[in-house]
Amino acid sequence: MPPFLILNGLEKSFGDQTVLRDISLEIEQGEVLVLLGPSGSGKTTLLRLIAGFEQPDEGQILVLDEDVTPLPPERRNFGMVFQHYALFPHLSVAGNVAFGLESRGVPREQRLSRVAEVLPLVDLEGFEDRRVQEISGGQQQRVALARALAPDPRLMLLDEPLSNLDPSLRERTRRELKSAIRRVGITAVWVTHEQEEAFDVGDRVALLNHGRLEQVGSPEELYLDPQTLFVAGFVGRASTLKGTLVAAGQVKLGDGRFVGQGATWPVQTVGEVEVSQEVVISLRPEGLELTETDRPDALAGEIVERQYRGEVTYYRVSLEMGGDVLVVGGTDRAAIGSRTGVALRQAKRPARAFPSPSEDSK
Amino acid sequence: MSRRRQALGGMSLVLVLVWLVGYPLLITLLEALGIPGAFSLAPFLEFAGRADEWRALWHSLWISAASVVLAGLVGVPLGLVFEGVDFPGRRTLGALVALPVALPPLVGVIAFLFLYGESGFVSRGVQAALSLEKAPWQLSGPGAILLVHAYSMYVYFYLFTRAALVRIDASILEAAASLGAGRRRRLWRVTLPLLGPALVGAALLTFMTSLASFSAPYIFGGGFRVMTTQIVASKLNGEIAMAQVESVTLALLAFLGLWAMRRAEPGHTAVVGGVRGVAPIRRQLRRPLVRVGATALGWGLAIFLLLPHLTLLVISFVPPGTWTTEAIPPVLDGSNYRSLASAPERLRPVLNSLWMASVATLGAIVLGLSAARSAVKRGGRMGGLLETLLSVPWALPGTVFAIALATTFSVNRPELGRFVLVGTPWILPMAYLVRSLPLTGRSSLAGLRQLDPSLEEAAASLGAGRLRRVWRVILPLLRPAILAGASLAFITALGDFVTSIVLYTYDTRPISIEILSSLRLQDTGVAAVYGVLLMVVSAMAFLLWGRERRA
Repeated sequence: MPPFLILNGLEKSFGDQTVLRDISLEIEQGEVLVLLGPSGSGKTTLLRLIAGFEQPDEGQILVLDEDVTPLPPERRNFGMVFQHYALFPHLSVAGNVAFGLESRGVPREQRLSRVAEVLPLVDLEGFEDRRVQEISGGQQQRVALARALAPDPRLMLLDEPLSNLDPSLRERTRRELKSAIRRVGITAVWVTHEQEEAFDVGDRVALLNHGRLEQVGSPEELYLDPQTLFVAGFVGRASTLKGTLVAAGQVKLGDGRFVGQGATWPVQTVGEVEVSQEVVISLRPEGLELTETDRPDALAGEIVERQYRGEVTYYRVSLEMGGDVLVVGGTDRAAIGSRTGVALRQAKRPARAFPSPSEDSK
Repeated sequence: MSRRRQALGGMSLVLVLVWLVGYPLLITLLEALGIPGAFSLAPFLEFAGRADEWRALWHSLWISAASVVLAGLVGVPLGLVFEGVDFPGRRTLGALVALPVALPPLVGVIAFLFLYGESGFVSRGVQAALSLEKAPWQLSGPGAILLVHAYSMYVYFYLFTRAALVRIDASILEAAASLGAGRRRRLWRVTLPLLGPALVGAALLTFMTSLASFSAPYIFGGGFRVMTTQIVASKLNGEIAMAQVESVTLALLAFLGLWAMRRAEPGHTAVVGGVRGVAPIRRQLRRPLVRVGATALGWGLAIFLLLPHLTLLVISFVPPGTWTTEAIPPVLDGSNYRSLASAPERLRPVLNSLWMASVATLGAIVLGLSAARSAVKRGGRMGGLLETLLSVPWALPGTVFAIALATTFSVNRPELGRFVLVGTPWILPMAYLVRSLPLTGRSSLAGLRQLDPSLEEAAASLGAGRLRRVWRVILPLLRPAILAGASLAFITALGDFVTSIVLYTYDTRPISIEILSSLRLQDTGVAAVYGVLLMVVSAMAFLLWGRERRA
């Protein structure tokens, strides 16, 4: 069986600004794929290409091997949830939900019964006759989902569906949307700029930056095995330090003229890196620990910031060799201003070394 | 494929608009230059060499400038009072005071005539009070024109002032107060300067309206000619080439005004730093004496401004021949209304106006909406062109358009897009349609701009094709904007005098023309009945406009 949705070499420019470059992706039936990226990365444009609101300059969009690229949105049979919901203000909740069925010429009786079927899916039974202005933001969000689901689309597209909600409502609505999508079992493409949301709802996450796909994979893959420095930095918390690859898997940091101003740490290299080349290593806070300053594998520094998070405490350490790192500390309190050593926590995930951006072609 | 069809649709819209709006103007310009035939500047040179032409041009300009000053003197204080002070009846009066702008100019003119004219209420009153031999004054010449202009055009200043006042951030005034500025100082140093852009806008609008004004100069001008009346006089004298040259000149002036207006537009908002705060609170009047005074002043002003229309209503009940020398009409009954209902020939103009205005409005809605939608969707140069075409008839005096249409559609050259429509029942609805386009088109544009484009996308993603999207989403949501534009369009068409007088035929004579001939026949009661009819229908449409605009 072919993949459900194939994006094949999509390119899009607006004027002389290239928004998407060579995007190729495959999505399996029933999968929820999240398009993640900072604002301006092209994720919404990609979603609009899939929906058919924009036409790609190059490339095709295939659904079960059928090329839908030339089809207008109304003939693609995709559902879409808009960032600001785009509920029709002149129609009731039921009127909104039934709209897609009406467009398909479904008779009134069946429309009503389908509305009655869909509203419970989003916990809105009994809301049929309400005006859409009268209901809360979270409820509007669910009406938008119900409206998109009602015509039984092949694919569900969601454009930052939670960004318009209060932070307090966001998590609950996320759970509800996620479970409704799972229950229906529909294939979905979900756009967001929030990593936590992406990891929560996505089977796989496609990370976009400057119109390019940086990496596509499960949340675990993105977090544990980032393929570019951008991914390592965008996903989760990470600190970066500059160093030199001195042997396979060994990076020398600092000049080491004094104790604590240099160390050689084991790393896992990503991409083409050769010995004696400059690299940037990316470090997760939980991969580092606070130690004595006189250990040979420790870098010395001063604690400049402390963020207490309940289960853990993050310390920002300004290193004497230059740069600063974020470290997960123990339960013991270390005072701001005190001198400390920072070392790799061997049992935890290793540091990753990427080609230094200045030598990278980009 | 659908894209090509869209582009084709856009092109044909542009063509229709160009044919209706731009083409007649071009033909007029060309014919004024002697084309087809030998190119010649002779009519222009003749124009430049005639003293009466220069006089008319000068009259137009100074009357317009003086109208701006007078209208501002009435409108701005009125706006300050109605927006700044709370008194009983403020809301109702505030709406009533804006009414003159919606009434056909001709109605305002004859209402003035009945109130302040030689045999009007006021002059008869003065005559009786002072036992004079004859009327104490004559309502004619530039003074009368200015009076009518100030009376009908203060509304622009009034409305613009109120709108700008609402937009002023209260904290700016509070800041001034905290810096020690008293009420008067705040008004002069803060409020009025912030109103600046709005006042410039109102001034230009007044200037342009005054430049295009025809009814007042036509009725009251006598020998005092302005450009609009000069054009119609040339046309009636058979000096077609001269009428064309005069039209071109007036059109140039109007375009200059439009250009100035466009330049003045960006500074329209009195908001600093992009943050919009809370509008200033209206002053509550606590001291009873001040309260009574303000209320009396507000009501007094409103009544004074609405008095002409009340007069019209009274005159419409005066039977023919019963009011001779008395200060107050001795008999009032409904005989004028009855004569209208019983004589088909008298009802005819009413029916004419109704059907022609309806057809024109309908056409203007369809064309205006389609063009606006196309302009918003494609934007860019094509969108800009469509928008300009939609605005042009608004900027140009009706007289100019009437001459342009009369020139273009009195020749049968189908291959050039010219047909003989002058003398047929279709020329007036067509003229009304063109004149109404800016009203329906611009309100559609404003409505469409406020519409979230994702609403239409949502409908498309739910499987709705283009027609269904328009019918089920766009039209219902634009209803207020469309109705608002349409009601103004209908009013304009129904009461039109300026294009009608150039283009009407006896069979299609509209109400305004019938008012004129009734006046000529000294049939003031009947003229007043027609005036009241126009007033009532217009007021209804205006109220509908207000309701829909607020919705």
